[in-house]
Amino acid sequence: MKIAILVKQVPATDKVKINKETGTMIRENLESELNPLDMYAVEEAVRLKEKYEKTKVIAISMGPPFAKDVLKDAISMGADEGYLVSDRKFGGADTWATAYTLKKAIEKLGGFDIIFTGERATDGETGQVGPSLATQLDLPILTYVSKIRELSNESIVVERTIEGGKEVVSSELPVVLSVVKEINEPRIPNFSGKMKAKKAEIPTLTAKDLDVDPEKIGLFGSPTRVVNVYYPKMTRKGVIIKSKDPEAAVDELIKFLKEKDII
Amino acid sequence: MTREYQQIDEGLIKELRKISGEKAVIYEDKEQLSAYAKDEAGGEYYAHMPDAVVKPASAEEILSIVKLANKYGIPITPRGAGSGLSGAAVPIYGGIVLSLERMNNIIEIDKTNMVAVVEPGVVTNDLCKRVAEEGLYYAGYPMSVETSFIGGNVATNAGGSKVIKYGNTGHHVLGIETVLGYGDIVEFGGKRRKDSSGYNFINIMVGSEGTLGIFTKIYLNLIPLPGKTVDLLIPFRSLDEAIANVAITIKESSVLPTAVEFIDKISVELGSRYNNTTLPYQEEATAYLIVQFEGRTKKELEEIYEKAGKVSLENGAIDVFIADNRTFSEKIWRIRRNWLEGLKAFDPYVPTGDVVVPTAKIPDIMEFIQKTSKKYSVTIPVAGHAADGNLHPAPMKPQKMPPKEWMKVSEEILKEIALAAARLGGAVSGEHGIGFIKKGLLPVTKKKEFELMKIIKEDFDPNYIMNPGKLF
Ligand SMILES: Cc1cc2nc3c(=O)[nH]c(=O)nc-3n(C[C@H](O)[C@H](O)[C@H](O)COP(=O)(O)OP(=O)(O)OC[C@H]3O[C@@H](n4cnc5c(N)ncnc54)[C@H](O)[C@@H]3O)c2cc1C
Repeated sequence: MKIAILVKQVPATDKVKINKETGTMIRENLESELNPLDMYAVEEAVRLKEKYEKTKVIAISMGPPFAKDVLKDAISMGADEGYLVSDRKFGGADTWATAYTLKKAIEKLGGFDIIFTGERATDGETGQVGPSLATQLDLPILTYVSKIRELSNESIVVERTIEGGKEVVSSELPVVLSVVKEINEPRIPNFSGKMKAKKAEIPTLTAKDLDVDPEKIGLFGSPTRVVNVYYPKMTRKGVIIKSKDPEAAVDELIKFLKEKDII
Repeated sequence: MTREYQQIDEGLIKELRKISGEKAVIYEDKEQLSAYAKDEAGGEYYAHMPDAVVKPASAEEILSIVKLANKYGIPITPRGAGSGLSGAAVPIYGGIVLSLERMNNIIEIDKTNMVAVVEPGVVTNDLCKRVAEEGLYYAGYPMSVETSFIGGNVATNAGGSKVIKYGNTGHHVLGIETVLGYGDIVEFGGKRRKDSSGYNFINIMVGSEGTLGIFTKIYLNLIPLPGKTVDLLIPFRSLDEAIANVAITIKESSVLPTAVEFIDKISVELGSRYNNTTLPYQEEATAYLIVQFEGRTKKELEEIYEKAGKVSLENGAIDVFIADNRTFSEKIWRIRRNWLEGLKAFDPYVPTGDVVVPTAKIPDIMEFIQKTSKKYSVTIPVAGHAADGNLHPAPMKPQKMPPKEWMKVSEEILKEIALAAARLGGAVSGEHGIGFIKKGLLPVTKKKEFELMKIIKEDFDPNYIMNPGKLF
């Protein structure tokens, strides 16, 4: 089996800062790291590799040259190889153009049975690249996957986390899967994994290598524009239940929570 | 060392309210008072109600309160965040609990001198975060960093996980303004790194557990932010291998780690259940080390962990796991940081021992702990700051034993371990202090020093109003 994992390098911060004037993310002076949600995708792929003989796991990332680091992170966790999709011409791509470029990389590397992505990247927070890629590759996509129940050479059965429960879905291979945190607990890389990653060569795939349509890549090829990014205002309304009798206060609280459908 | 204390009456409350304001004095409200009756040692079991709680806002107010207390013979128990583990903030003679919670201003961050000037009620982590914004670093880091106050850290000479590289709280203190027990405001030290003009009073005030005076302003040393970190999680099949590795790793990696923490099998088992996670080799490993290094660049860190990792693998480590991002670091540290909470989730009565020995004697004290565990048929999880020789044995109550009996038994167990540590050239407390829980052990293990401590106490606090029943 051949498995791809799409990973992204993101700023190592809990709250992305936004430049108010340009509406874009401030990336300067920030350490970067492997998108934490992609670790679950890496882990799941590596677990499949450990379970099924002759499985190969290839990590792919689109980003600037130093994004090689996140491919090395994936290798340190057990991926076999890493490819960086990188070219100045790809700069400023929106989710559609990114998915297009990644599609070309997937086609070039060829013959994947499963393509894993994380739920979303913690910087852009869109979660669109996986589904868009699947659409452009004309493959089925299973999102919010929290468990792989069965897997054969032809098909897969998974559990999806949906509002209020789980959904069991099956699909033919090849398939694109976006996984959620519940699926596993990513391993901390060990010494030999780190050493393997250190030695690994990470080939770069450029616009030329991928034979892309220049009209469809980078800022120029992006059909969408980010006009403005801002944090939604969070408002809280504190309610204090006042009562001398604690039991009555608890009853009131339970009633309140039930009315709001919280419990 | 105590004396006959007087009861607080309405008249005194009026005076206290005049000093600190109506709202800053709690009196007769049992529910509110009870929040100040205990610290994190033994909880309810060691609790004692204060007669009043005062929350002053300045050194001047504190001076007036101390003068009143001297005049009327009322004990004062200074209180920080109440996270202490030795009962030091418990008002065992009633009287006034003087809470420093309102004095929580970071007065100044002097970037030129690299000094922070703070009020005692600043939460340790708030200071760490604030100075980091300026590219600076406050190196105090007890595991209670998110709750404890700087004043409490100084009063207990708190340690934590960065002591091997940066020293305990006392190392960071450049000056202390304090209201002494006899009723005067005195400033020791200040924004200077050196001072060889006479006795070093700062060192006497550090670790004094509120028995000499109340700190009202603290000058702290800052250093440049150290940059990036990497954490190594190293499982071992045997305890001895883990302990032996501490010295080897430090020596062979030729870099002083920021932290070398030890955590044993049962602690990891309970901790991982509490934190809903698992660590690698939980079945096989008897002990884990967590080693943290700091470095300027990723490359520098790589070189360090390669060396350290190799050395550990050559010396019996089952494997070496390397966390160089936030997710993995947090996964490792959560278990260590929440160690006590993890144990408490399974046994709310678990007391935390705190002994220190010369690092070479760690195997001996561990052996003693294991023997004690067998002798009493009690499980004793151990975690600690391995590179400091500072261990926390935490005996867990056998299911059937009633809590009251257990408190006695566990006190006995911890006493035996503490005395053994002292015999090995260590001390009965490494970082949590004496409080009242360990006070009987001081005259036994530090006979002559104890006599000198008494002389200082009598000079600084002749009426014994400052935190009576602690240390002495
Ligand atoms: C989960 C947990 C983890 C911990 N980890 C560590 C650790 O790693 N290392 C460590 O050393 N300790 C640790 N502790 C113990 C505790 O947090 C420290 O002793 C801390 O320094 C106490 O600070 P506090 O503000 O809570 O002080 P309190 O408990 O309120 O008081 C402690 C003592 O300081 C005195 N005091 C407080 N403020 C002043 C003041 N302004 N002037 C004079 N005296 C004052 C009190 O009278 C008392 O004697 C831990 C505790 C918990 C609960």
